Amino acid sequence: MRAIIFSWEYPPRVVGQLSGYISAMSTQLAQNKVEVNIVTYDDSATGQTTEPSGVKTFRVANPVRNHIGVLTWVLTLNQEIERAAADIYYESNKQVDLIDVHDWHFIPAAVTLKNGLGIPFIFSVESLEDQRSPNANASYNMAIKSIEWLGFYEAKRISVKSEWMKDEVNRIYKVPKEKITVISTDPSVWIEEILKLYGSMAEAEE
Amino acid sequence: MKDKLTVMMLSWEYPPRVIGGISPHIYFLSKHLAKQDVKVYVVTCDFPGAPAHEVIDDVEIYRIDSYKNPSPDFATWVYLMNMNMQRETAALTRKIADKIDVFHAHDWLVANAGIGLKHVFRKPLLVTMHSTELGRRDGLHSATEKMIHETEAWLTYEAWKVICCSDYMISHVKYAYGLPSDKLVMVPNGVNIYNYYVNGDFREFRSKFALPEEKIVLFVGRLVYEKGIHVLINAVPKILSKVNAKFIIVGSGYMKEQLLNIVRSMGLEHKVLFEGFMDEPTLLKLQQVADVSVVPSLFEPFGIVALEAMAARSPVVASDTGGLSEIIEHDVTGVKVYPNNPDSLAWGISKVLLDANYARYIKENAYRRVQEKYDWEKIAKQTKSIYEGVLGEYHKSFWAKAT
Repeated sequence: MRAIIFSWEYPPRVVGQLSGYISAMSTQLAQNKVEVNIVTYDDSATGQTTEPSGVKTFRVANPVRNHIGVLTWVLTLNQEIERAAADIYYESNKQVDLIDVHDWHFIPAAVTLKNGLGIPFIFSVESLEDQRSPNANASYNMAIKSIEWLGFYEAKRISVKSEWMKDEVNRIYKVPKEKITVISTDPSVWIEEILKLYGSMAEAEE
Repeated sequence: MKDKLTVMMLSWEYPPRVIGGISPHIYFLSKHLAKQDVKVYVVTCDFPGAPAHEVIDDVEIYRIDSYKNPSPDFATWVYLMNMNMQRETAALTRKIADKIDVFHAHDWLVANAGIGLKHVFRKPLLVTMHSTELGRRDGLHSATEKMIHETEAWLTYEAWKVICCSDYMISHVKYAYGLPSDKLVMVPNGVNIYNYYVNGDFREFRSKFALPEEKIVLFVGRLVYEKGIHVLINAVPKILSKVNAKFIIVGSGYMKEQLLNIVRSMGLEHKVLFEGFMDEPTLLKLQQVADVSVVPSLFEPFGIVALEAMAARSPVVASDTGGLSEIIEHDVTGVKVYPNNPDSLAWGISKVLLDANYARYIKENAYRRVQEKYDWEKIAKQTKSIYEGVLGEYHKSFWAKAT
């Protein structure tokens, strides 16, 4: 199985806890015969590397350096994420089973790749804009929420880390609960559950 | 290679959505490419009342959801709109029976979509740069302007070829983004002269705008700094000291209030009419009755408005800058004046208004020049041969082998 993981943080770039999470997850996936390709952002250490674990990393920088906000920064960066993922797709004979997108940042790239190349994606939720900025309905927050909404709408599966988050996604975005998988935090079953979720992506759409 | 060349045109405007010159450009270019046996898809922003899909003159038009949630500002909206444009265009490209050969993007407004689609489908991207942020703003003064400039640079970097509509724009774009010469191609803008053939008695129509003894001076354009409308306003008293005239300003923009205040303070409200945006049939009639059309731009990549006036047989006074310098041959097809110089502009306008023989001479020459040089059929043929050249190179590349 070949998977591409989108995350805006991956070591050595650490913003929050997502970076460490992706690192631990990808190492374990590689040990379980998943070809893992991490597509992530780095300001200067761009290009491709293969880690001792076998995990391949692709780091891209933003093609536009001056920005007026997080939104414009994210939206131009998405094109480079998309380019890296398309390169992986063509260089692996168009055999990519899924994209796993962590948080909203690279949802636009995943949505284009799904619609253009038919690669299904999982939207893995770390946190939601509604929780990060409670009751904030400025156009800036609304735009991020609309990208999250697009992600929930276009994703084949949604993964969350708690029952509470499953309820939140259902409450805020009215996503049917059947579409949401809770990944356990218990280290003994954690990777099994992710593998099961990845495996389910090959199933035909109903 | 299959028999019919297929192009996916990306533009943020297409009729009935008309904001600037790109909209009519895409309309005519696509239509005439279709006549040259090119299959054209146009993906553009939606517009109230316009269908999501229609076929016009053998051109497939798709209107996308242009992102209607509130946006923090115009530039952010552009990137959000591009997100939607990419999503819908990617789905369309995958769905349609025709295989797309090239993506053709127009201006930075569709940069993200064009670049993204190029890589997702591994097809060549062509870009027409209609204008530049550097030129529009006369420098880069804010983070927004720098961001837009860099987006333009990125778009031209990703493009296989960059098309510009005048020799002036070729050198400007080359300097602005540091592009190699062999990446740039000049294809002029066109004008459809048959659109401008309007016959009839316009005396009653004229009387709505001016007294019989008043000459009509016409300005058509957005009321923004780069169009130099303030230069014309400053020239008004100088012209009125020589000839009785009415100044008709068609178009709107952020400078409108400011300009109205200047006119009011000069006590010339009865001589300067701000008509706002005008529908095409009315504008065509107005061009027929105008005694002179003025294009006082400070920055003008091409100057389609001058070409339109020439096609409508209206004598043209234009500033000697950018693409206008190439369109107008002084004393032959129009009058060239110093840019940003109200005295020079007043001189040029007065000259045309006071010498009827001279006015007739330049407008007839101008009409013939438009017929010879700015014909859409010729432009479509040129554009098609650029597509073919790019595809010839593309088919030798590893991209063509891998896809």
